[in-house]
Amino acid sequence: MPTGPSLERLQRRLIETPPDFLAPPWRNGSGQVRVAAVVNDVLAALDCQAPMPLLATLSGELTAVSAEQLALSAVLAWLLADDAWRDFAMASPALLVLFSDVAPALAAEAAASRYVFEPERREELARTTIARLGLTPDGETASQAADRLASVSGVERRRLLDASREAEARARAIREALARKAAEESADKWTRE
Amino acid sequence: MDARVNREPTDAERYPTLSDAGRAMLRLMSEHPSAPVLRNRSGNRLLADEVEDLRAYEREVIGARFAWNTKQVPPWLDAFVDEVFAQVPHYREHGRPASFLDIATSGRGDLAADIAQFVPDNVPLERLINFRTTGTTGHPLILPSHPVVAGRYLAFHKRALRRAGIEPRHGRGQVGVMLLGLQRRCFTYVSVTPTMDESGLAKINLHPDDWRDPADRARYLDAMQPEVIAGDPISFAALLELPVSHRPRALLSVSMALSTTLRAKLSERFGCPVLDVYSMNEAGPLGVYDDALDAFVLLQPRMYVETLDAYGRPVPEGQAGEIALTGGFNFYLPLLRYRTGDHGVLIDTAEGPAIAQLQGRRPVRFLTQDGDWINNIDLTHALLPLPLSRYTVHQAADGTVSLGLAPTEMAYAQDAATRLSAALRGRAIRIIDLTSEDKVLQYTTDLAGGLGA
Repeated sequence: MPTGPSLERLQRRLIETPPDFLAPPWRNGSGQVRVAAVVNDVLAALDCQAPMPLLATLSGELTAVSAEQLALSAVLAWLLADDAWRDFAMASPALLVLFSDVAPALAAEAAASRYVFEPERREELARTTIARLGLTPDGETASQAADRLASVSGVERRRLLDASREAEARARAIREALARKAAEESADKWTRE
Repeated sequence: MDARVNREPTDAERYPTLSDAGRAMLRLMSEHPSAPVLRNRSGNRLLADEVEDLRAYEREVIGARFAWNTKQVPPWLDAFVDEVFAQVPHYREHGRPASFLDIATSGRGDLAADIAQFVPDNVPLERLINFRTTGTTGHPLILPSHPVVAGRYLAFHKRALRRAGIEPRHGRGQVGVMLLGLQRRCFTYVSVTPTMDESGLAKINLHPDDWRDPADRARYLDAMQPEVIAGDPISFAALLELPVSHRPRALLSVSMALSTTLRAKLSERFGCPVLDVYSMNEAGPLGVYDDALDAFVLLQPRMYVETLDAYGRPVPEGQAGEIALTGGFNFYLPLLRYRTGDHGVLIDTAEGPAIAQLQGRRPVRFLTQDGDWINNIDLTHALLPLPLSRYTVHQAADGTVSLGLAPTEMAYAQDAATRLSAALRGRAIRIIDLTSEDKVLQYTTDLAGGLGA
């Protein structure tokens, strides 16, 4: 797994989150931060085009999208605006996943402000961002990074558990498919080893 | 478990594009008065659009050039490795190292331990098929595949045949290929090849037990007149003994090493090229032997071949190493530094890379108590019902047979010895401890006639 930015740098960036980014997001006709526009700009700077459904999700017009998700998306955008990412995440498709999957999952666990003001949540957000972009923090091995993320993040622990269940279900389906009579009959080859 | 587990496929599933001409071909091959007992059913399973795709694939493969050599890795390697680490559970779990050479090698033992971990997440399972290997290097395997993957074999056979100046042309109303086995138990059936306008395909067993009259074997071959005959050195040795007058356009030998003597005898007897194809279930046809180069010229431009030492490092140029594969055409089993158990020297030729001094595919025959020779594949079949991770069978010069089992699997010793003894028609079996943790030669013999023709 390629090395990404240092954890310290990203956590410092989070500590320095401008108050504007923590202001109430525009939602249902009130609020200050236009999250969709912020995210759109940050993604564009990273050579990544935000798809319309994502911008609609972050527009503040959908009641199903919580204020916490919008607020955390704004914080995430601030984090990704750091120049550090320019060497690691340009045009990465995983950038979109951060907003479509990671932000809602983390927002369901804690308020956006906690990912800025609490050291352990800061570490969780920084580590999760690095990991979901397919990177490891500078100075850590992939296994150290995975262990540490699982220890600070309940969301990650659940994700790992779900992934493990999915993987087991898939493996079971493969074994069953291989055992079917239809599979046993095989198909034509001009030679048989 | 899925309700389809025990359902027999229908003929519509076996031959989705079958025409009246194809149906007539199936009847001709199965109902001929000299036809063998066909013990199984199978088919090409190809859908109409897949047949078209395969034709295009053949055109692409036949003219494709190798973009790598012993000094330069293929340009597609990095993207392929990325894809494998993203999609294949076994690799994803380990994480991609920075360098290709740091990727841990895998082998038959890894596939045997849990093949599901090697199947990419993004392939559908509805039309998955399997191929069982009865290889000579250790672990019996069930490998995932797909009708299109099976169909792709022909593209590489055609590439090999073209080198010998042969373009297969049998089509409607003719038999394209006959696959010969010589085993006590053999999967036999008839089918048609849609990309060859439904030319016939018959997989038959030359063992006399599969025929109403053993003399029917030659009669059937003469009547069917297959354009190509495929087999292994053991079935080809048996073919030489039959009074066959038909002259195929080519013979394709796979599975085991073909001796120069047998190749010369076959070529002289049938007056056609005899292609020794280096092929394995895990990878398909990899190379074809070239006399002038005294090496197997590689056939798959999308398969990167390394030769490795015991630690997974490439051996110096010109030295023999274990052949390891990366790439391939089976999208259900992308290979990544897969150690084959075979050894050779990788060389560059004007046509692309080739493997010289290939070792590891010697056919082994065993002498039964009543003086008959049987193929090592029969011994594999005899032991298949037992969950043995690995074993060895050795026949000493006096004919005595010892079966090596892993110490942890000694509970199966009695059962295994009984089965092996039955296959060898009453020979006593001595059980020994299999202590080596490394790859072992599964079948060995000290008998002069044990290494085939």
